[in-house]
Amino acid sequence: MTSSVTAKRPKSPPVPTQAILAKTFHWVNILSLLVMLTSGLQIYNANPVFGGRGGWHFPDFLLLGGWLGGGRNWHFAAMWFYSLNLLFYGLYILISHRWKKRFASSSDLKALQVSQNVKRKNYALHRLIYTIIIPVLLLAILSGLAMYKPVQFHWLAGLFGSWQTLRTIHFITVPIVILFTVVHSLLALTVGSTRLVKSMFL
Amino acid sequence: MTFKPVISRRQLLQWSGLSGASLLLGGCATSLFSEQVGQAFEPLNQNLQALLLSQKPVPEFPTSAIEPNKLLINTFDTTPQIDPLQFRLQIQGEVNHPMQLSLADLQTMPLTSMVIRHVCVEGWAAIVQWGGVRLQDLIHLAQPKSNVRYVYFKSADGYYESWDLASAVHPQTLMVYQKNGAPLSIENGAPLRLASPVKLGYKQSKWVTQITLLSQLMPMKGYWEDQGYEWFGGL
Repeated sequence: MTSSVTAKRPKSPPVPTQAILAKTFHWVNILSLLVMLTSGLQIYNANPVFGGRGGWHFPDFLLLGGWLGGGRNWHFAAMWFYSLNLLFYGLYILISHRWKKRFASSSDLKALQVSQNVKRKNYALHRLIYTIIIPVLLLAILSGLAMYKPVQFHWLAGLFGSWQTLRTIHFITVPIVILFTVVHSLLALTVGSTRLVKSMFL
Repeated sequence: MTFKPVISRRQLLQWSGLSGASLLLGGCATSLFSEQVGQAFEPLNQNLQALLLSQKPVPEFPTSAIEPNKLLINTFDTTPQIDPLQFRLQIQGEVNHPMQLSLADLQTMPLTSMVIRHVCVEGWAAIVQWGGVRLQDLIHLAQPKSNVRYVYFKSADGYYESWDLASAVHPQTLMVYQKNGAPLSIENGAPLRLASPVKLGYKQSKWVTQITLLSQLMPMKGYWEDQGYEWFGGL
């Protein structure tokens, strides 16, 4: 099946490569987010955002830390890796001008609307999805900071409205990130097959 | 249809099996290392929190924002019954003027009222009005020696806590006997409890009977801290 497709191509496209700093960001982001998510659910279980103490709790195998204190230990350790990694990545894409070329642009949006080329459309969608996750990652930090230091950052906590809204927004980043991981992986495979995925991990 | 699967079914099954196994392993080892991780990062996090702490009053909420039903009752053991007439607050330790105050003594001192957000380590929060005496006034009366850096609180139920001096003398750290415009209830810590916007709920001891000013942190830092919660617990 695969061979018949490749045989029709005049020549195989160049092997994709990724900048070492992009790969580093990707790895640290995945690993720190995994710790943030699992320890975050441990903290969630101490008093579920939905329903309080009587609310539904996440099963043990999804949790990290063993108890509330342990979950908080992991959460407030991994936060440094997660947030500083995102900060350094932000500086990197600014300084290197990557933000101009590597993220969704108006031409991608146009392609999504009018292009007849399925490959171009998939590519545009792929770029759009991984661009959109950046503000979500920032939102997780800002809503987390507003809960961690609601006194020192009272202006930030105030932007989110009530405490329940703040907790809900912080929590909502979890399903968004999980959904993103699935969609992003599938799109990466669609756009560049395992070669593209390998280029980001290895 | 010329749909070409980008990964084979076998690969997909292998990968999902691997990630499933790692999740299971993670589940078994949940509390493993969490103590070490806490110990490794507590100094950094504590420095950040101490740096962020300011003596400026925290912005308060209007009385209309008070959430009377949201303040949950948490107690580590029992709820002590204290006769308000027999009650005495001891202030002692490395001070020039140790003293004992009755509830009547405390009520003749200037009353400070504040509407602040009480935040529990569990994640819930409640906007509460507290009324009482500034702890900085009490500490001032006792005349601490210049090397005092920590404040210990002992409660009638056996609960114990320790604070950094800077948080204890914050202008909104109070020893309160009023909640939401009414006398403090026994479940909420009557006759006297700690209340402050700059610390998490577990730092805000109920039924406080003894305040000790010290230059050194004792090995027993606090009931929950000794179970593994972070000591600073700042907001």
